[in-house]
Amino acid sequence: MRLLLTLLAALSFAAPAVAGDLTVSVRDAAGRPVRDAVVTVHPAAGVPRGPIRFPWASRMAQQDVRFLPYVLIAPVGGAVAFPNLDRVRHHVYSFSRGARFELELYGRDETRSHTFTTPGVAALGCNIHDEMLAYIKVVDTPWAMKTDTAGDAILRGVPAGGATLRVWHPRLAGRGNELARPLTVSAAPARHTIFGDFTARAVVR
Amino acid sequence: MTLSGLFHRFSTFRNLRTRLTLLYMGLFGLALTLSGIAVVTAVTSSARHMVRDEMAAAGAVYGQLWEARSSQLRQGASVLARDYGFREAVATDDAPTVRSALDNLRTRQGVDGALILGIDGHATQVGVQPDAAALDLLLRGLDSGLETGVLTIDGQPFQVVAAPVNAPVLMGWVVFAERLDAGQMRNLERLSAIPLSAAVVLNPSQASTDRPVTIDTPEGPSMQLARALPDFDPTAKAALLLTYPLHRAMKPYESLFLWLAAIGAAGLALLLGGTWVLSRGLTRPITALDEAVHRLQHGEYVQAPVTSADEIGRLAASFNAMVGDLKDREAKLTHMALHDQETGLPNRLSLERQAGAHTDAWVVLFGVDRFEVVRNAIGYDSMGRLLAVLGARLSALADGAPMARVGAGSVGLVIIARNKAEALEAAEHLAGTAQAPINVNGAPVDITLTAGVAGHGAAGSALTSPVDRAAIALDQARAARRAAAAFDEIAYGDPGGNLSLISELMTALSEGEVSLAYQPKYDFRAEGITGVEALMRWTHPRRGVVSPDLFIGMAEETGHIRPLTEWAIRRAIEDQKTMAAAGHVLTVAVNISGRLLSDESFADFAVNEVATSGADLCFEITETAVMDNPETALRIVDRFADAGISVSLDDYGSGLSSLTYLKRIRADELKIDKSFILGLDDSARDGLLVKSTIDLAHGLGLKVTAEGVETPTALALLRGMGCDLAQGYLIGRPVPMAALLERLAAPADAAKAVIR
Repeated sequence: MRLLLTLLAALSFAAPAVAGDLTVSVRDAAGRPVRDAVVTVHPAAGVPRGPIRFPWASRMAQQDVRFLPYVLIAPVGGAVAFPNLDRVRHHVYSFSRGARFELELYGRDETRSHTFTTPGVAALGCNIHDEMLAYIKVVDTPWAMKTDTAGDAILRGVPAGGATLRVWHPRLAGRGNELARPLTVSAAPARHTIFGDFTARAVVR
Repeated sequence: MTLSGLFHRFSTFRNLRTRLTLLYMGLFGLALTLSGIAVVTAVTSSARHMVRDEMAAAGAVYGQLWEARSSQLRQGASVLARDYGFREAVATDDAPTVRSALDNLRTRQGVDGALILGIDGHATQVGVQPDAAALDLLLRGLDSGLETGVLTIDGQPFQVVAAPVNAPVLMGWVVFAERLDAGQMRNLERLSAIPLSAAVVLNPSQASTDRPVTIDTPEGPSMQLARALPDFDPTAKAALLLTYPLHRAMKPYESLFLWLAAIGAAGLALLLGGTWVLSRGLTRPITALDEAVHRLQHGEYVQAPVTSADEIGRLAASFNAMVGDLKDREAKLTHMALHDQETGLPNRLSLERQAGAHTDAWVVLFGVDRFEVVRNAIGYDSMGRLLAVLGARLSALADGAPMARVGAGSVGLVIIARNKAEALEAAEHLAGTAQAPINVNGAPVDITLTAGVAGHGAAGSALTSPVDRAAIALDQARAARRAAAAFDEIAYGDPGGNLSLISELMTALSEGEVSLAYQPKYDFRAEGITGVEALMRWTHPRRGVVSPDLFIGMAEETGHIRPLTEWAIRRAIEDQKTMAAAGHVLTVAVNISGRLLSDESFADFAVNEVATSGADLCFEITETAVMDNPETALRIVDRFADAGISVSLDDYGSGLSSLTYLKRIRADELKIDKSFILGLDDSARDGLLVKSTIDLAHGLGLKVTAEGVETPTALALLRGMGCDLAQGYLIGRPVPMAALLERLAAPADAAKAVIR
């Protein structure tokens, strides 16, 4: 099965295509920019086969009794490192479906890692420090990006043609805290603004 | 009712003691009631304040209890919610584990129910079975941030506390539900200092406030405090309701009130008794005085008891002194009323009383004969002493019979006798025995006594007093020149009735009851009737014929004789005209009372009447009447004579005669009294007297009329003596006018036959 999927991905990736840059701007109901929203695009033609690599480190550090970053985009099948930069120990866990794991007490400068095999969201907590919370968005497309402080996310080289644009944010109202929108990607750079309600509660199971 | 009305009501009580007692009772009762009201009001107010404070405190305590329990439950829920294993079980939907964990904690915490409510609304519960609606309310409330509040499950209010389960994002809530049942409320009630009742209610009738209010409950007025509690149902208002019936608040004071009432009643009873006793002490002398006054009113001389030295005591003493004075004065008055001041003897009133005391009592009045002579001889004072001695002597002679001075010279005695004869005999005996000389100032005074006797009069007698009758009897005895006489009622007549007769006489004149009767006079030379004497007759409608002697005498005494005479003159003039009309020219003689001979105005009338009518009248007067007031009488007689009225001297020889006056009176005629003429037949002396008188009269130029001619013999003798006229039954009785005319019209032979 996995072999077949890989094969399919490779096939789709190999298809000749014109790629374009896509800028997605995420705004809340009041029009304010929303950061840490995960913007993904799934071309209708599918995503290219092979492991996905992102330019940012696949790492969820614990520093100053906080997770850093708050939202991390991780490719499916990729391992995420959990370095403890604090002097206290942490007990990182996730009860999220498809991403259930537990990194029992480990100390300073110790690093644990976990490989996420299923696309979805993992809500991370620390059994010792309840206030610690972070999310790892496991994606199965290379076109994924977090919005910056201006609420913008720039996706480069998205193949032209039909595609599905998705925006996820832990407070976004919608099923699975996600909005999906069909999209036609052209070669020319395009800009899309997505408005949403960002007052909802995170639903992570 | 007004206050004055109340006082009026008070003053209508007849008993002073009742009034005093009621007044004191009323005032004390009022004071008692007022102080009782004050105490009850103060106590009630204080109790209310206490209850209010206590309820506020209980409300606050419950607030703290609620918070404490909430906190405790929240802590328990929180512990569970943070438990890693539990969170894992929740996150992995490990329902059996979750349930067992909930149950475990529920038992440990001692709560009624526990559940985990997912944010999707899915619930896993133990101990309670909330329905979908309740879960919806719970979820909505938790979602909006409410963590503690009241939730109604199956109509039963529960205290619900929730703690979020973060794994790490919010998965749901651990919810503990504790029944707000009676048991819990009892715990709260036990915490309170006062026995209030607590309950959690939904939608209480009163607005939830933190101020206690008073409301009416089946248990009576109650203090109530509602304290709002957070509720998961935004439409419902849960509240803790603290209720405290006020009668329970007043319960501790009941014994106080009871004592108060008992003390009040006891005080009232003591006051009643005390006032009653006190007022009795106060009113008893007044009552005694009141009774004494009443008895005094009925003539009893009583002494009021003097029991104190206060005003009432002084009043009683004054009363007694007054009674004493009154008694003395009455005794004096009685003595004065019953005694003669001059002699000190009992008086007439005393005698009357003594006489009235016995049915067989007789009053004997002893009069000192020639009293005035004796008194003038011995002096006034000595006469008093004489009477005193006489009274004592008579009383002694009559075995101490009651005695009194009745008049100036008479002493009365009351004796007991079976009848008039016995009484009269006793009176004669006493009068005779008591006539011994009496020593006055050492000199013996001779007296003679006459006695009048009278007993109790017959009913209807005009004289009610036996003393009066005895006095009359005394007069009667003296008149009869007897030593003693009993009262003779027939002789006394009826002076009172006669008096009324006179008042009727004037009416009788106008009513025609009085008439004139005419008695003819026979003229020896003319051998016929030449004149008549008019005589008054009164036929009384009830009494019949009234004696002329009676009514003329009384008219003289009472001053009525003039109108009577004037009437007679007018009548006579009228009748003379009638006789003349019938062919009989007669001289009419009218009797003129001596009293009128001193009345010039009567003379004016008579002269005027005769002059006017031209009548031929003769006025018959008596010589005695002229002698009473000779100057006037002679002048008036002169005037009559001048006026052509002939004057006749009536009843000559029966009264006093004076030749001096006989000479001076211008009379035309002399009428010899019938007492001489009646004895003419048998007495030679009368014949001599009559003959001499006729001669004397003729000597003085007077005609002579003989009265009382009743026999032919007398008539013949008179004719022989040269008498001019004769009058008497033989000639003719006095007859009314009509009968006279009839008689005159009869043939002269018949009349002459009689006369010869």
